[in-house]
Amino acid sequence: MNNSIEQWFASCAVVPGMLGCGVRHPDGTCVSQRFHDSCSRERLDQALHSLGDSLSAFSTHGLAPRWLTWTFEQGQLRLVLRPDGRLLALTVQPNTPAAENLDLLTEEFLALNFAA
Amino acid sequence: MTTPAKQQHILFVDDETNFLDTIRALFTAWSKSTWQIKCATSADQALEILKTRSFDLIVVDVNMPVLDGEQLLRILARRYPDLKKAVITGHATEQRRSACLANGAELFIEKPRSAEGLKAVFTMLDELVTWKQQAGFQGMLRRVGLQDVIQMECLGRNSSILEIADRKLSGRIYIEDGRIIHAVVGEMKGEAAFQKLLALPGGSFELQHFEPPGEQTIQGQWEFLLMEAARVRDESTPETAAAAEPVVAPEPPPVLETPVGPTRFSPRVAEMLIFSGQGAPLYQWQCADAKTRVALMVEITQQARRVGQLLGLGKFDRLEIQLPAGRAVAQIKPDRMVFVQVAMETERA
Repeated sequence: MNNSIEQWFASCAVVPGMLGCGVRHPDGTCVSQRFHDSCSRERLDQALHSLGDSLSAFSTHGLAPRWLTWTFEQGQLRLVLRPDGRLLALTVQPNTPAAENLDLLTEEFLALNFAA
Repeated sequence: MTTPAKQQHILFVDDETNFLDTIRALFTAWSKSTWQIKCATSADQALEILKTRSFDLIVVDVNMPVLDGEQLLRILARRYPDLKKAVITGHATEQRRSACLANGAELFIEKPRSAEGLKAVFTMLDELVTWKQQAGFQGMLRRVGLQDVIQMECLGRNSSILEIADRKLSGRIYIEDGRIIHAVVGEMKGEAAFQKLLALPGGSFELQHFEPPGEQTIQGQWEFLLMEAARVRDESTPETAAAAEPVVAPEPPPVLETPVGPTRFSPRVAEMLIFSGQGAPLYQWQCADAKTRVALMVEITQQARRVGQLLGLGKFDRLEIQLPAGRAVAQIKPDRMVFVQVAMETERA
């Protein structure tokens, strides 16, 4: 796993309410980490692929998302698209520091240096 | 009878035990024992203490071994965003000050070398700990439609009171958990009052903290209330009433101007659609092609179902889309679907 993403995942782990996170690279490979029993890495990978594939639907409709937040009864899913094609999925519990810090985490991910 | 002073719980983190002993003794005395002071000699110990109880303020030394104050602040900002934070250091530099403030510290203080200096520190910290923070943002917008504000409050499921006034009258709209529950203007109440306020051609408004009204006079869904308000406004405007075309795209929402202040961004509703649960358009405004939007909503619904099941997140509520120059929200309920796109426009003062 890329060192910078590994470190960033580790820093995400300390945020209360974080369920899991994953990144899909431009070559289609996924790395993910779960922070809660309710969230499995396999399912996160599947969700990442499914959501990543559906992004083209938005551009078909004239929308160019920078990030999307899917809100459900028991959690939120933030999907962030980097200009280099990397895609982040963060799942958090509602009304927790993780949910409140979604924008901050998004900015951190967008600023990550993958070349390092 | 006098009310006892509120107890403030403060955690000091510093690896100098002598300094902590001094602080504890002096600050307890100066606060007349209203400060309950707890001390930690490392960031690690502080984090352990924070797991067991809550504090009103944490005061952190920057120079500590293993995990320094800056790193501790970063963790605190994430784990305890509401906790007030101050930094006290014996080695103050501009660079360090900027880093600490950027990491969430509200005060950056140099360690005093005298009792007088300590008293000044106590006064500053006392100000900080007793200062009551207001939730939310403060700012100023110009040329914002009243309808835009109501939509944002309802879509965000907020609770607030919208106070509206023009030169002749003033009124209030009560929004609770994203539902419009009451409106009043003069002697008028309920939907009639709501329509009257939304028909105002100009004025000012202010969002106040929510307090339950004495009565609830509005039951309907906010989308339909706004739709009805748009219709009433159109019919009461001579130019629009004279138009021969059927009303598909009503005139833009009334624009209210706040009287003063520089402007940076102005949100504008760029598109709004409401469909029935079966996808039949009920209301549309500035939408080029309602059919493609229905198709998008169907795709969002299917994707939400798939992801919600995969990750066990339960029932889907809404999708927010951050766009390069604005935002869109798609809300899907069994009986209706709503799509709103808001554009952020820059304006010069």
